[in-house]
Amino acid sequence: MRRIDCAVLALVLGATGTISCRKAAEKTSTEVVAVRRATVPADPADAAWKDAPAFPAPLILQDMVEPRLLTASTAEVRVRAITDGARVAFRLEWKDGTPNDKQAPATFTDACAVQLPGAPDQKDVPAPQMGEKGKAVEITYWRASWQAVVDGRGDTIKDLHPNAAPDHYPYEAASLAKGGEPQREMEQRYSPARSLGNHMAGPRAKPVEDLMSEGPGTLSPGPSNDSNGKGTRLATGWAVVISRRLPQGLVPGGRSQVAFAVWEGDHGEVGARKMRTGWVPILMEGKL
Amino acid sequence: MARVFNWQLGREMSYWYPESRPKKQFAAVFDINKCIACQTCTLACKTTWTSGKGQEYMLWNNVETKPYGYYPLAWDVKLLQELGAQTWDGGPYPGQTLFESARAGERVLGWRPQEIDYAHPNMGEDDCAGRVDKGCSLAIPHMNWFFYMARICNHCTYPACLASCPRGSIYKRPEDGIVLVDQGRCRGYQECVKACPYKKVFFNPLTGTSEKCIACFPKMEQGLVPQCFVNCIGKIRMAGYISKPEDARPENPIDYLVHIRKIAKPLFPQFGLEPNVYYIPPIHAPVSFSHMLFGPGVEHAIKEYRDAPNDPDLAGLLGLFGSSETVVAKWKRQGDWVSGYGEDGAEVVKVPLREPVHVRAGLDPAHGVVRTNCP
Ligand code: SF4
Ligand code: SF4
Repeated sequence: MRRIDCAVLALVLGATGTISCRKAAEKTSTEVVAVRRATVPADPADAAWKDAPAFPAPLILQDMVEPRLLTASTAEVRVRAITDGARVAFRLEWKDGTPNDKQAPATFTDACAVQLPGAPDQKDVPAPQMGEKGKAVEITYWRASWQAVVDGRGDTIKDLHPNAAPDHYPYEAASLAKGGEPQREMEQRYSPARSLGNHMAGPRAKPVEDLMSEGPGTLSPGPSNDSNGKGTRLATGWAVVISRRLPQGLVPGGRSQVAFAVWEGDHGEVGARKMRTGWVPILMEGKL
Repeated sequence: MARVFNWQLGREMSYWYPESRPKKQFAAVFDINKCIACQTCTLACKTTWTSGKGQEYMLWNNVETKPYGYYPLAWDVKLLQELGAQTWDGGPYPGQTLFESARAGERVLGWRPQEIDYAHPNMGEDDCAGRVDKGCSLAIPHMNWFFYMARICNHCTYPACLASCPRGSIYKRPEDGIVLVDQGRCRGYQECVKACPYKKVFFNPLTGTSEKCIACFPKMEQGLVPQCFVNCIGKIRMAGYISKPEDARPENPIDYLVHIRKIAKPLFPQFGLEPNVYYIPPIHAPVSFSHMLFGPGVEHAIKEYRDAPNDPDLAGLLGLFGSSETVVAKWKRQGDWVSGYGEDGAEVVKVPLREPVHVRAGLDPAHGVVRTNCP
């Protein structure tokens, strides 16, 4: 039926009509609807996404707490969601003409995040800006630089700067057996963030991180570590799947709130300098 | 923003957190006039702390030639331009600090060096302030000038790095005032890199966290001076702890040089961080340039320093620089000898006020050879 409508429209409107027709074909919703399926897709290119309605979430500046973002970048993120009753997967798609998947001095990576209230009582939601004391939010965060590592980029300076010529690392001295425990220990000593198990520090097996927060500046590792994700580059932007277990208190058929954030690395966005949404209602479909 | 007192400015100023001074404050005095830019300090730090992956470009300690040397590129002139011209003729500083001139949405006035800005640590090395025409080099005093400036983190009393971190990942140790980035907590936002005017926090691209000079705290905790101090060939450095001006003790070498004799000056005090590395200004550079770098009182410092040969106490204390790996907590001159004492009061070093000089004849008659002046 839809195809016939399209054909008619195309005849009437010509080429522009075809574009409107394709847009018209995309189901949208006025809230995030996590459609119920037997499994949650792991890939943004999975065909299952076609049937999930897109929620176009307008993004606003994080200009409430310092450091603020004062000039807007990404205007909108289109969100789809699928749940299998235990987990929920979000597919975030946004326009970004400049892929940034490296981190370096003054170089920031593209990223996105999904935030859900962590409290069992889904009606009394925390403040949308990173939660509040005693009312935590749970966040799953994806970044392009981690995706690049998961997709095979190495973990050395030469992987970031192919022409770099580091002359010597002490733990690569001939006296230390390659790959042995003493060598590993010595390498760790020159990498305090890794020694301390800082999640930022890698090397990484997943492109996402589970976090929780009770207000700006309080981001910490999340209560569980079972989220996953995958981001791929589209011709004009990013498509990222973030999948996680349902937060405590949110059950199939239930409702809650969800918020999103997008960081445009090219625009120097990092941490609090980001484009974000407020809370958006979300419905978890109950029945298959 | 809170109101805090900055004695270097002689006035109260705005800061992100209320005043909370440590029990002791790590501090150092560097004698610019003795530095030969051998970079031994740079390498001492590099091999000790920053030989890891992602640290390749980092120099927690660097030595640059002034006026045209910078690491990272243009670190100071860029910020001075951002801040705009300020005047300060002594007395309370009437101008704006970096906290007071923060732009909308920011906690501190700062800027971000690009990766390429770190790629030329020797930029401007040995470049002097003007053209050296034929014959210039023979004229004494030289018509043009340059000097070497060794730089580490200033372990500021009001650190801009700490103020700028939105998640409180940077802390100032209450026991010794050393400023550290918590490597377990940092999330690599690089706000500190942007905010530190001295550009002494560095982003590690492989761990995704920011790292900085730690004042070799494992050594300081044992009463030993940091690596870049003990390895200094020119013996330009003295490490210790500084008191507030009203609590200055003459037997404390840092207090004596900074507060009592006022010959060692903070670097860019007008920024408002109350930095704790103090410099004896270069005696051959124009005072106007040193005034921009070190604030008011440079003329006095130079005059006193020049007069040191006639000033046994000052000459004696300058002779203690770089003389011991133990932190000299107290010093005393007795006649022609100067002693340094550790924190436990035990004498750790004793040096003569004047090194004995031996002049040998140019010709060695026993061997029939001409002596060269190599040591
Ligand atoms: S010099 Fe820079 S890094 Fe060091 S304490 Fe001061 S602001 Fe922080
Ligand atoms: S004090 Fe220690 S950590 Fe800091 S620059 Fe010197 S050697 Fe490096």
